[in-house]
Amino acid sequence: MLDLSFGNNILIYGVIVSTTSFLVTLIATPKMISSLIAQGSVVQDYHKPGRPNVPRPAGPILLGGIVASEIILYLLTLNMTIMAIMLTTVIAFVVGLIDDRKVLPGWFKPIALIAAAMPLIIFGAHGTHLNLVFGNAFIPLLYIPLILAIIPIVGNTINSIDVLNGVVTGFVIITTMPLLLSIAIFGDNDVFLAALPLLFGTIGLYGYHKFPSKIFVGDSGTLVMGSMYGAIAIAGNSEIIGVIALLPAVMNSFLFLSSVKKIVEHRQVKERPTIIRADFKLAASKEKNAPITLVRLILADGPLSEREIGYYIFKLAVFSSSLAFISILIQYYFLSGGR
Amino acid sequence: MRVTGLLGFITAMWVMILAITAFLINFIAPIDFILFRNGLDRFVISLMQASIAIVIIVMLVWGLNKMKEIYMQKKLQL
Repeated sequence: MLDLSFGNNILIYGVIVSTTSFLVTLIATPKMISSLIAQGSVVQDYHKPGRPNVPRPAGPILLGGIVASEIILYLLTLNMTIMAIMLTTVIAFVVGLIDDRKVLPGWFKPIALIAAAMPLIIFGAHGTHLNLVFGNAFIPLLYIPLILAIIPIVGNTINSIDVLNGVVTGFVIITTMPLLLSIAIFGDNDVFLAALPLLFGTIGLYGYHKFPSKIFVGDSGTLVMGSMYGAIAIAGNSEIIGVIALLPAVMNSFLFLSSVKKIVEHRQVKERPTIIRADFKLAASKEKNAPITLVRLILADGPLSEREIGYYIFKLAVFSSSLAFISILIQYYFLSGGR
Repeated sequence: MRVTGLLGFITAMWVMILAITAFLINFIAPIDFILFRNGLDRFVISLMQASIAIVIIVMLVWGLNKMKEIYMQKKLQL
């Protein structure tokens, strides 16, 4: 539970890390956009008339904002958990950056992300009890393989929801809210402060990534968001609450994997789950072999514009976040001894 | 509403997660006391608990797959 007593500086530290991450992404992104365009680091936006070129990736900027905040926070608190969260995020960023530059096999990201989980174990950022809504379980040994699984799974889950303009950044902003509340209740001050740069850095970036995108986040950006989300959920004793908040993305990953039946990159799948009509609205594919995804299911009732699909995904994120808030209440009731 | 079915799907997933966590807390966590009256080695108990948890997760995935098939048939006629 957060310690709000006078003198522990949580409010001041919170303002410093939030402002730093927000301002770094907000101010540096336009410069990054110009730089990427000058370098020719652009990709086509297939869902717009004329397929305009959009610079990619925004991952380095998001990471810059987060790392700057975490270093300041570490210098203020000297807590190694903050260093562990930061290193996990940095390793995941490197994995994503490699994937941004080269088309790698589908197994690369999940395997490489296991390395990103290592700092959490080495620096002992995890606890020994897993909060399971109705109580907690003492699992000192089992926690280690669990961490090695959580970071790749959450990283790839967030990566899989990066489907249309602004969706992944908006989705992360919405679903980080219940996670922050959960960390405030079941975690501690330092992990809560370490989680703030994810929210505020992503808010800073959202203005440029929302429809119509001025920059794409790329795998480096999505893996920064996903791995950091997983890391703060672990360090903040909020793993199950995090899973519940991410349910639309979990569902998307599950539907894709269970229909394709192997771990494969989206761009390597021949059949597309959606088709673009002449009016640039998207429609669900009628092909039996096309992967089943969240967007395809949203489009099952008829075509929609890109902006409308994003709006429906945000609705689902608000809904799953509400379920996460209810779960926090249940967990608080049981962990406080039913008082 | 367009996403009503998806909201139902997400709610079903949430209920399944809550059911599993309740089962793990009430039956699997205290299994050494319930079945063996604290008579087994801690490592063996942990191994047993982990194995049961994995079986339950496999069952969850199987359940989700069944749910998905029903939903797909209704929505996409696949």
